[in-house]
Amino acid sequence: MNIQEVIQTITQMQADGIIDTYAIGGAVGATFHLEPVSTLDVDIFVSFRSEPDSLLVSPRSIYDYLTARGCAADGEYLIIAGWPVQFLPPTGPLAEEALAKAVVHDVAGVPARVFSAEHLAAIALQTGRAKDKARLLQFVESGTLDAATFQDILTRHALTGQWAQFQRQFLSDTP
Amino acid sequence: MTDDLQAILESKRRYRQRLAARPLAEKLRMLDALRERALLVRPTSSSLVREEPPTCRGKAGGMNRAERSEPA
Repeated sequence: MNIQEVIQTITQMQADGIIDTYAIGGAVGATFHLEPVSTLDVDIFVSFRSEPDSLLVSPRSIYDYLTARGCAADGEYLIIAGWPVQFLPPTGPLAEEALAKAVVHDVAGVPARVFSAEHLAAIALQTGRAKDKARLLQFVESGTLDAATFQDILTRHALTGQWAQFQRQFLSDTP
Repeated sequence: MTDDLQAILESKRRYRQRLAARPLAEKLRMLDALRERALLVRPTSSSLVREEPPTCRGKAGGMNRAERSEPA
């Protein structure tokens, strides 16, 4: 089980032309900005490459590429280096922006595209599960968020109401 | 909140900051170890331990069996 191998594989997939733009999201993405965030799988957001002679985009080439290299499939996951990896299209404007503005980090000589801290925090706010709220709190308490950038994202994606509610619920000293 | 508790919380916050500041490669190795530990304490009938599917707009529509033309 080696997540660096997952990153190397994704980078190679990009070099081989299987995927265009990609970015690591979820807990693994958050780990690039915070302390390690325990998780069971890896979320890779990708712009799926168009199939020849088709206007539709398809993840088929990803599946074919990885299974040809010995990766197993399990439900919606492909198993790379022992990690279940899910390839996700950015189906909303916020995720699309996060993918476009992802930041490249160097992992032992391998480039890894990762959602910015501000986009990860905004996505956590939008998603709104308990663990997403916990992650958002981690971002806030860590001081890693650029306040102006975060506010700009919240405003443009109509998340200011949810943010105000979150602040009342978790960041206010008075209930 | 007592002063003692404040000190404990502050100590935890500093520890998390130190972890966050570790080199990326080291933090990723920690993820490997955390997942291995999670697998040990979460026995499952499936070979794959997975997380709850998110419901947000940003994560809907992941690759599925039909899209991959994978045999059911």
